[in-house]
Amino acid sequence: MQTGIDFSTDKDQILAGMYAKTSIAPLVVFRIIFGFMMFASTLRFWAKGWIDSLFLQPDHFFHYYGFHWVKPLGEFGMYAVFALLLISSLCIALGLFYRFATVAYFILFTYVELIDITNYLNHYYFISLVAFLMCFLPAHRSLSFDVARNPKIARDEISNWPIFLLKFQLGLVYFFAGVAKLNTDWLLDAMPMSIWLQAKAHWPLVGSFFTEKWVAYGFSWLGCVFDLTVVFFLLTKRFRLPAYVVLVLFHLITGFMFPIGMFPWIMILTTLLFFSPDFHQKLVIFIYSKLNVKVGSSIEYNSLILHGFKRKILTFFIAAYVFFQLLFPFRYLLYPGDLFWTEQGYRFSWRVMLMEKAGTAFFYVTDPETGRKGEVDNSQFLTPTQEKMMATQPDLILQYAQIIAEEVESKGLKNPIVNAEVYVTLNGARSKLFIDPEVNLAELKDHLKHKDWILDR
Amino acid sequence: MKKVLRFATVVVLLMSFSSCDPEKPMDNLTYSDLFEQTADNIIIPSYAQFQSDLSALRADFDVFDASEVQSLEKLQDQFKATYLSWQSVSAFDFGPAADYSTLLLMNCNSFPTNVSKIEDNIQSGSFDLDVPSNYEAKGLPALDYLLFHTSQIELLTELSDSSRINYISACIVDMQTRVEGVVEAWDSYRAVFVQANGNDRSSSLSLLFNTFLYDYEQVKRNKFALPSGFATQYGIPIAADNSVVEGRFSEMSFELMDANLAALEKVYMGVGYDGVDGVGIYEKLKEYNAQSTVVDGDLASAIQEQFAACREAISLYTMNLSSEIENNNVNLSETSNALQKLVPMIKNDMRSYLSVTVTSTDADGD
Repeated sequence: MQTGIDFSTDKDQILAGMYAKTSIAPLVVFRIIFGFMMFASTLRFWAKGWIDSLFLQPDHFFHYYGFHWVKPLGEFGMYAVFALLLISSLCIALGLFYRFATVAYFILFTYVELIDITNYLNHYYFISLVAFLMCFLPAHRSLSFDVARNPKIARDEISNWPIFLLKFQLGLVYFFAGVAKLNTDWLLDAMPMSIWLQAKAHWPLVGSFFTEKWVAYGFSWLGCVFDLTVVFFLLTKRFRLPAYVVLVLFHLITGFMFPIGMFPWIMILTTLLFFSPDFHQKLVIFIYSKLNVKVGSSIEYNSLILHGFKRKILTFFIAAYVFFQLLFPFRYLLYPGDLFWTEQGYRFSWRVMLMEKAGTAFFYVTDPETGRKGEVDNSQFLTPTQEKMMATQPDLILQYAQIIAEEVESKGLKNPIVNAEVYVTLNGARSKLFIDPEVNLAELKDHLKHKDWILDR
Repeated sequence: MKKVLRFATVVVLLMSFSSCDPEKPMDNLTYSDLFEQTADNIIIPSYAQFQSDLSALRADFDVFDASEVQSLEKLQDQFKATYLSWQSVSAFDFGPAADYSTLLLMNCNSFPTNVSKIEDNIQSGSFDLDVPSNYEAKGLPALDYLLFHTSQIELLTELSDSSRINYISACIVDMQTRVEGVVEAWDSYRAVFVQANGNDRSSSLSLLFNTFLYDYEQVKRNKFALPSGFATQYGIPIAADNSVVEGRFSEMSFELMDANLAALEKVYMGVGYDGVDGVGIYEKLKEYNAQSTVVDGDLASAIQEQFAACREAISLYTMNLSSEIENNNVNLSETSNALQKLVPMIKNDMRSYLSVTVTSTDADGD
């Protein structure tokens, strides 16, 4: 942590704060909420038939860069994975075999997300990260079956850093979602908010408001200000309650207007973490009283506060995580071109509900020997969702071209030429040719460098 | 504190008007007129017309006299009329027509038809038209073969064979039974259709839009691009093959294609069976002041004009599609482009303004 500049007083203060003792109650309440929310989300996912439609129906899958080797498991396997997700999330909520359950949940959930990149949602990335953090946090050391089994592990107090990390992660989602809105489309043109509201113009009573330009500007600006500031208000004692009320309203309204599933509920409940230890203590006592169990008294001795070298290692890892999370969303600056158009460095950056993008992709295969050329019927390869996601994202367009090339070669057509004529409309603008239609995509290799065959916005 | 409260109040005030009736987020008062016009003046009369054409075909067939050319000609003419009226119902492959026991589209118009399978069935005399393997040996494409595949003189000789007559009869009766089922089911389904609001997968808007798009893509690919050599099969470019056109033997592919486009155009414009232009998707797009992202200006008119352009392109051919393909007419690729241009207008722009979702999964923005 030698930076060469003297941050020592700040650093010491931060470190002292991070390792100060605090009540375990907020962390325990967070664990219970997280566990039950994940349980409910998994049940909902199952009930909606998405295991079948997302992991069993598709003939081909789109991979994350470097994760080509992640494959779905087949019918029995996928249902087994989801059954294990249900069990492990319940175990997290109950604090039963907590360590094992969190690791299992993190690995299985992340595995499921890695199968097909067209399913990517920032919400899922958020859950993967929280599940990862939970693996290391002592969230089972109170109000848990683990404590019932082994009272020696019970604690009333822990260091501050677990709660700090979770608050940081939650705050990041809002703050970066706000930073992402600081662009001319969003602020100066009220785009794509105007399009989204227009589509709801037939709503009773309020529908006519939605076609008003000032309403779209109002929604855009308020959403941006909310995202940028809410976490700072939540951190202050004075503004916490009003900020939370606004947060609840914000999520209810957006959840009501857009198909964003469980996300609003997850955020509404997990942000309770910002409330005082006192508040959580009362909640814990309330739960105890409902369960008719006596509040256990923990042992004075607290082994959880690390010292010396171990603390340094922990500090290093926490700092590394924080810096990574702060810097990673800015990697798009390394690429030329318009971020929304090229989407190079777009994912994993909390860019939620930010643009309206749609594409139509016509793929053509040419047999170099006969010169015969034909348009590909995308529905013979992809599901409608996959096709929709692919048509606006250059890396997926490339992957699809290679899926086609592979399939065609396996049928005996050697060295096929695959071209794509893709038209994309962004935030209501005229459709434009998205990538160079002359490029033989079958010949290219995917990489993290700039894709120079993407045309300008 | 005051500041925050003021901020909160503004947010609440501004946004609260959107949450006044959370139980019914998608009150589609403005869509029910579209559904009513489409059901009452387009879908139901079109099925009735197809049903009555099938009955007429059956009647002509019942009195068919294999010794008279006129009798065959009458049968052939009525078949053509029936095949044309089919084009007006093919876009409604949802609800009763898509019911597992009916599957109207597959059973009535799976082309290209499998000639050797038909002959085998006739020869063996024992066949089950309900099994999926016989989709390609029944329906209108099978009749197209049986009633047109050779000269009238030879057909008359063929049709004096009772096993052939039995097969034709079975094909007609099979379609009649299915259409009758659909027509009856629409009596009660109509109420469901008119009321299924919202924009999820089972909403009428979604069904109507998705089958509309699917039917259009069938015109573009199966009826045109595949026989003309502009398509692939699982990625492999397919050589032009004029034997896979729709209506191959009766040589009416362009007429059928035009009838199909005309039917889609009527659904889009909301032109009813009585010829009166009511509320269609066109009117809805106008209401939304929808803008095209493909060409300049208003989306509603852009789609209307592109439909016209496609039909215009088809009308310019002097021969049937099969012969144009054989003669390698260079205009075919232009027609292909015209048909292609309509795809993003429907698939992206129209979908976006109607807010029809592609899938049921969650989103966090595109």
